[in-house]
Amino acid sequence: MEGFVSLKDVKKIYKMGEVEIMAAAGIDFDIKKGEFAVVVGPSGAGKTTVLNILGGMDTATKGQVYVDGRNIARYSQKQLTAYRRDDIGFVFQFYNLIPNLTALENVELALQICKDPMDARTVMEEVGLGERLDNFPAQLSGGEQQRVSIARALAKNPKLLLCDEPTGALDYNTGKAILKLLQDTCRNKGMTVILITHNSAIAPMADRVIKIKNGRVSGITENPHPVSVETIEW
Amino acid sequence: MKRKAKPTRKDFYMEIKKSPGRFLSILFIVALGVAFFSGIRASEPDMRLSGDSYFDASRLMDIKALSTYGVTEKDVRAMEQVDGVALAEGAYSADFLYNAADEQQVLHVMSLQEHMNQVKVSEGRLPEKSGECMADDEGGFKLGDKITLHSGTEDPVSDTLKTDTLEVVGLGNSPCYLSYGRGSATVGDGSISAFLVVPEDTFALDVYTEVYLQVEGAEGLLAFTDAYDERIEEVLENVEDITEERAGARRQEIIDEANEELEEAREELAKGKADADAELADAAGKIADAEKELADAKAQIADGRVQIENAKATLYSKQTELDDARTQYYAGLEKLSDGKTQYESGKTRYEEGKAAFEAERPEAEAKIEEGKQGLGVFREELDKGWAGVSGLNRQIEGMEAAPLPPDDPGYSEWIGTLEGLKAQAQELTNNLSAQESQYAASAAELDASVLKLQEAEAQLTQTKESLDAAKAELDTAEAELSGVPAELDSGQAQINSGWAELTAQEAELDSGEAEIAANEAKLVDAKEEYEEGKKEAEEEIADAEKEIADAEEEISDIELPKWYVYDRSTLIEYSGFGENAERLGAIGRVFPVLFFLVAALISLTSMTRMVEEQRTSIGTMKALGYSKAAIASKYIGYALLATVGGSIIGVLLGEKILPYIIVYAYGILYRHLPAILVPYEWGYAAMASGAAVFCTMFATIMACYKELAAQPAVLMRPPAPKNGRRVFLERIGIVWRHLNFTWKSTVRNLMRYKKRFFMTIFGIGGCMALMLVGFGLKDSCYEIAELQYAEIQFYDGSVYLESDVTEKQRKEIAALMEKEENIERFMDADMQSITLVNGKKERSAYGCVFEDVENIPEFVDFHDRKSKEQYLLSDEGVIVSEKTAKLLGVKEGDTAEIKDEENGNKEVRIEHICENYMGHYIYFTPAYYEKVYEEKPEYNSVFFSVKEDCTSKEMEEAGKHILKLDGALSVSYTHDIEKQLDDMLRSLNLVIIVLIISAGMLAFVVLYNLNTVNIAERKRELATLKVLGFYNGEVAQYVYRENILLTFLGAVVGVVLGKFLHLFIIETVEVDSAMFGRNINPPSFIYSLALTVAFSMLINGVMYFKLKKIDMVESLKSIE
Repeated sequence: MEGFVSLKDVKKIYKMGEVEIMAAAGIDFDIKKGEFAVVVGPSGAGKTTVLNILGGMDTATKGQVYVDGRNIARYSQKQLTAYRRDDIGFVFQFYNLIPNLTALENVELALQICKDPMDARTVMEEVGLGERLDNFPAQLSGGEQQRVSIARALAKNPKLLLCDEPTGALDYNTGKAILKLLQDTCRNKGMTVILITHNSAIAPMADRVIKIKNGRVSGITENPHPVSVETIEW
Repeated sequence: MKRKAKPTRKDFYMEIKKSPGRFLSILFIVALGVAFFSGIRASEPDMRLSGDSYFDASRLMDIKALSTYGVTEKDVRAMEQVDGVALAEGAYSADFLYNAADEQQVLHVMSLQEHMNQVKVSEGRLPEKSGECMADDEGGFKLGDKITLHSGTEDPVSDTLKTDTLEVVGLGNSPCYLSYGRGSATVGDGSISAFLVVPEDTFALDVYTEVYLQVEGAEGLLAFTDAYDERIEEVLENVEDITEERAGARRQEIIDEANEELEEAREELAKGKADADAELADAAGKIADAEKELADAKAQIADGRVQIENAKATLYSKQTELDDARTQYYAGLEKLSDGKTQYESGKTRYEEGKAAFEAERPEAEAKIEEGKQGLGVFREELDKGWAGVSGLNRQIEGMEAAPLPPDDPGYSEWIGTLEGLKAQAQELTNNLSAQESQYAASAAELDASVLKLQEAEAQLTQTKESLDAAKAELDTAEAELSGVPAELDSGQAQINSGWAELTAQEAELDSGEAEIAANEAKLVDAKEEYEEGKKEAEEEIADAEKEIADAEEEISDIELPKWYVYDRSTLIEYSGFGENAERLGAIGRVFPVLFFLVAALISLTSMTRMVEEQRTSIGTMKALGYSKAAIASKYIGYALLATVGGSIIGVLLGEKILPYIIVYAYGILYRHLPAILVPYEWGYAAMASGAAVFCTMFATIMACYKELAAQPAVLMRPPAPKNGRRVFLERIGIVWRHLNFTWKSTVRNLMRYKKRFFMTIFGIGGCMALMLVGFGLKDSCYEIAELQYAEIQFYDGSVYLESDVTEKQRKEIAALMEKEENIERFMDADMQSITLVNGKKERSAYGCVFEDVENIPEFVDFHDRKSKEQYLLSDEGVIVSEKTAKLLGVKEGDTAEIKDEENGNKEVRIEHICENYMGHYIYFTPAYYEKVYEEKPEYNSVFFSVKEDCTSKEMEEAGKHILKLDGALSVSYTHDIEKQLDDMLRSLNLVIIVLIISAGMLAFVVLYNLNTVNIAERKRELATLKVLGFYNGEVAQYVYRENILLTFLGAVVGVVLGKFLHLFIIETVEVDSAMFGRNINPPSFIYSLALTVAFSMLINGVMYFKLKKIDMVESLKSIE
């Protein structure tokens, strides 16, 4: 047992008729509990596959995926759903808030299915949206929406926070603020955060950087002294 | 162009391939809409066509004309000459009564026509000679049945038919009777049970009863269409134009004929009168002669009698005289002998007296001498006395002459001596007076004795003389008497001979009297006879005169015969057939609208979604420089292909299947329709397709329009997310706070997708409504029997009485019913068919009079359908059944008329209108009936109710008992009618099934489509939920919650919609003779809801798999 999250020779093969596309060609990495890990790679390198598999949205064709000591790679669809609802917090690139629910309600939506949720308002305050609880997503800026999205993920009290290009749709400053929030959350709460991005510039803020290329891990860098987001420019 | 077109076309095909569900859903809903529209619409002409082809094939008449005085051959020929008339054919018909096994029926007998109204034989053959007939298929007759007809009126059957017994040689049907109805008659119970067709020569009438016409060119026109109606109207007017002339001619003919007859009658009468007079005069003369003779004879006899009486009297007096004489004679004889005896005894006494006298005489004479001497002595003594008295007196006088004075002492002595002397004188005087009278008496006695002696001597002498006279008398009497006896004998002989003569004469008189008596009796008879004969003759003459007068009056009263010219609507059920077709049209106009609306909405949502989905692609195309039209053409083409495909399928299937089902369903009613013709009605096909294309095109263009107007760059960017919005409900804090937030989301979602919201509600509502209509139709039609016979007319049956029932029979029936233990109550009633008129509207109804007004509520309940307000019959007006009132167009308080062609219409006031489903009724109280008709109602039936626990078998048993009585004609039970009704309405099942299936399809298409669109639109949201860890079930729930809510909302809307639709359909499909219920029963709501929910669940079930298939990766995609 090497780490909190551990992928061992994970392969994902999509069959498109006769052609087989190898989206992940044997990925191995470990992430320790409480680490802020960044998975970087160019488009099509296989980072989304990794995310899907880690997030329980897809299953690996081959290999093992251990999260908190359990191999989710062999999970059934139902187990995976349970895994998603109890263990994973997900932050989407496009926030994916339910447009019809207010910010607070979006958070509550996640809490409703959760075993040990945090208080929605507290979480909202923590992400700095104590004032905008009753606004609908369309009334919020992108950054604010992403905060709600983060709050929704955090409120579930997950074991793992998975973020898919959380700043992809945001402007520079807002993106930085969001990254700061994620970093602070990781630091202050000891939350294990895995952030997937194509922007390698943000690698210095991570405890661990996993680079992926052509469906394989091309390198893992441990960063003993991660810098604060503010100091990073890109 | 071609080269450019190729990739777009490929894209187009790919589009269809990629989204077959969307394409098919448009195609399917269009097909459904078109099928319904064109199918139901086509049913109308198809039904007409099916009817028309039957009419044409059987050469059904176009116009029927009849006149009140019949139709002559000349009339027929004249009709044929009328412009537009192709053919005219006279025919006979008449109604008769027939006593079937258990009831009296009215049969309509009509002549077999050569050219028109051709009957179809289904069994046996056509009648060929008088005495044969073809009977109605529906009449329940069998081949070989012998039918004996009764006229039902005073006129005998033979006035109309040559024979009153017909043998059934064939069974069949006539185009004049499309359905079960056979029309009404004026005899029997007024409703015709069946028709009989007989050869023309069976009728014994001089003139036709009616003439049938066929109109030129009408055969080519479709019956029930305006073209046909107009053509007929045109010719009908032409025919009507000549009817006046024909009427005049006919009248003249009748008047001439009548006058001729009248003249003959008059002559006959005159002759009869003369004959009668002559005969009577003769008879009177004879009688007078006889009377005179008799009187003479009588006088003679009386005379004779008087003579005889006189003679008798004489005889009697003579006899009396004779008898007296005899008596006298005998008395004389007696007297004579008495006289003789007396004489003898007198003589004897005289002898004796004489002797005694002679003996006594000396003694008597001696005594007298002695007396004379005694008297002399006595005298001397007396005279001496007298001389003493005078001496004393002188002494006295002396003393008195020297009176002493009183005071002389000698005086007292002197006085004493004087007084003594006076008393001595007195006493001496008195003594002397007494002796003097004694002397006188003795002297008288002596004189008497002398006289007596002298008298006795004279008497004796006298007696001697009378004795001598008597002796002489007796001698003469004796001599007289001796001649009498001879005289007496001769008198008696004379009298006797007189009697003998009298007796003989009397006998003669008696025989004469007897003869006279006989003759008198004869004369009385003769007189009576004469009187009778006279009276009779007078009566006869008077009758004849009256008849002639009547006839004269009648002739002068002969009005123009009335001609009635009818088109085919006079045929039973003919109009009904057309109306049914029209109703189908009405339904066809409304029903499919629902489907079209749904089709349009579905196209709109589908195409909007499609266009939205392809926003980027549209932007790209625009960016590449395609024109709006070119881009839009893809979507328009897509929709067009789906619509046209759907239309073709819809027309092809709908126009065949639906009309067939519907006409087939009606075929149960019109069972003689030989064939159901369902040609394609291209007009409706085009109309339906056009409407469908318009709807979808409009929807598609609307969907494209917004997107096409936008700049390509805008299109390339994702659309601004739709704003979440607070809904009204949130403002109601109490409700909102208590809602689970998933419910909150549901509510907000519903509000957000308004289009979907309304469409789903509309779809579900439509589905629910259709089912409600389906089940409701069933309720309304099936329940009328229940409503009618359980809540309105809740008597269990009625006994119909013979038309000539006597009071005694009535009482017998009443008594039996009283006794029958299963019959709880009964009441006399009068039921008769009448025709109500209001303006131009006419409607035949049952006029119903209940004998006992108070107890009506035990048999019939009058109430308003809506308010349930109870009504009571009053003497101020009638209660009319609801449908009747509606068809007549009358309200409460209005007046309507009862048709009476003979005596003029009678007005009735409509006091109330009551709920009623089967048939038409107008209810009277006996008093009001009398007021209207000016005569008392004649109760011709008895309504009865049985005890509650009485089985129908027991009831029928009771009915049989009643029927055994003479006055009872038939018994009918309401449960029989209920059953018949149920059988008939069963044909509606098909319609109901069609409705339910189409409702299901509608629901399915709508829900499937909307759900598909919904899921597609919210794919990202749902994927996110999945990523967040919602189980499939939970995700489904999230969607279902909305669907369920919508289903229930839709159901509520459906209830309202269904109610209205149901009402509309009921009013449209309702037949005139019945009112269907307006009710939908609770179970129907439950069934409809259950089925709607079931359809909704089915869709949800299908959706589950769609939801499950949603890829979570969708959540990661950028917003398109």
